[in-house]
Amino acid sequence: MKPIEHPNAVAAAQSTLEKSGQIKLQVEDIHKCFGQHEVLKGVSLTAHAGDVISIIGSSGSGKSTFLRCINLLESPNSGRIAVAGHELKLVEDKKLGHLKAADPKQLAMLRTKLAMVFQHFNLWAHMTVLENIIEAPIHVLGISKDEAIARARKYLDKVGLKGVEDKYPAHMSGGQQQRVAIARALAMEPEVMLFDEPTSALDPELVGEVLKVMQDLAREGRTMVVVTHEMGFAREVSNHVVFLHQGRIEEQGNPREVLVNPKSERLAQFLSGRLK
Amino acid sequence: MIDFALIADKLPSFLGATDGAPMMSTADGLLMTLELLALSLFFGLALSVPLALGRVSKNKWIARPVWLFTYVFRGTPMLVQLFIIYYGLSQFDWVRSSWAWEYLQSAYVCAIIAFTLNTSAYTTEIIAGQIRNTHWGEIEAAKAMGMSKWLMMRRIVVPSALRRALPAYSNEVIMMLQGTSIAGLVTLADLTGVARRIYADTYQAFEPFLVAGAFYLTLTVLFVWLFKRAEKRWLAFLGPRKA
Repeated sequence: MKPIEHPNAVAAAQSTLEKSGQIKLQVEDIHKCFGQHEVLKGVSLTAHAGDVISIIGSSGSGKSTFLRCINLLESPNSGRIAVAGHELKLVEDKKLGHLKAADPKQLAMLRTKLAMVFQHFNLWAHMTVLENIIEAPIHVLGISKDEAIARARKYLDKVGLKGVEDKYPAHMSGGQQQRVAIARALAMEPEVMLFDEPTSALDPELVGEVLKVMQDLAREGRTMVVVTHEMGFAREVSNHVVFLHQGRIEEQGNPREVLVNPKSERLAQFLSGRLK
Repeated sequence: MIDFALIADKLPSFLGATDGAPMMSTADGLLMTLELLALSLFFGLALSVPLALGRVSKNKWIARPVWLFTYVFRGTPMLVQLFIIYYGLSQFDWVRSSWAWEYLQSAYVCAIIAFTLNTSAYTTEIIAGQIRNTHWGEIEAAKAMGMSKWLMMRRIVVPSALRRALPAYSNEVIMMLQGTSIAGLVTLADLTGVARRIYADTYQAFEPFLVAGAFYLTLTVLFVWLFKRAEKRWLAFLGPRKA
């Protein structure tokens, strides 16, 4: 696996505004049905290097499903996905009626470039913090154990955790667990990070520590797609916000415009119930 | 009254001293019990991990035969299984003329085969149950990290399931320890077999079986302690936080 370069922090933060970076993630026209119910009715998204895209919407709008379609944890019925210029080859699974990866190896390879952070952390409970972080770099990316440990320490430091290497996830607070999960994702050195409601399962007083880590990552110029209920994060940290409503993009754009002066009635309604 | 002189006299017999030979000169007694237990547990566990993966397989051509195997072997007494293998198989000519006959003639081999199949059936169900119990989020995380199905099984699902299976498996080990006592019925001189021999020689039943029982109890206490230690180490992730 070739090393993945991240643009210099400051330069990247500026370049995002100009949208001049290379395209890291391109998702086109995703449709997804659960039985008769069409959850996604053609959703597209493009992330350039350094973009931080927030996906907002009320529950049931399809935002989590959309994010999970990007790395095929959920199988879309139609659509196209490309990560850092590599298009994921999809074929129809005739029996189940949705798309699946034509080549499991290619899917696995693209997933390593799309690290995901989950609402419920999903750390491997039987492994210590360090083991959680070095697992995939060693066994999926194939780097040496020493290098993986060095990476793990670097990213644990980045998420502000010290002295937790030998702890088991269950022995830590939710906020600490989520920061370990972020370190685990970072250790893959992915092209794009996907966050699926990363603070929704946390006690209110723990939300801040996770958001701060995510804000730091955004400042470094990492490309992030974040499904979130945190309007403050969407407004202050992301450079693009997508409002999903009933499986469609109802409105999108610069958060400072979209969230302050929504054009659509739905978004205005949604925000009036939420914005603090 | 308990005949302590008899116990003192016959105690070495449980430790391999047959017919006045020194202790541990034969495998009779304790050593035979431990051998039967260790070998059948070893082969049984080795079999049950792949069988458990088969048991939870989505492919019914794999899952169904494993299901049948575990139900047959859990649904019949181990003694019946042992008799079928040791006494029953010999009535078939094709068995007697096969290469395997050399081994199937041996009570020792037959006992290990029967015990292995029996414990692997139970252990398969224990492990399969824990594989099914794997938290779905941990599986999603493994997939999202680009793990192949096989790697995920090998690195995440099976190691986690084996650890969570420890408490149930410790019961299985203790049940198997007691279960090996039927080996004497196919001529093997395990702890119970030695006790039966002393009974036949002396017509005293209480003392030899009391001694055999004491050996089993001591071994059980030892195994319980060993598994407690193992759980402390391998199941720490489920336990309370250490200070």
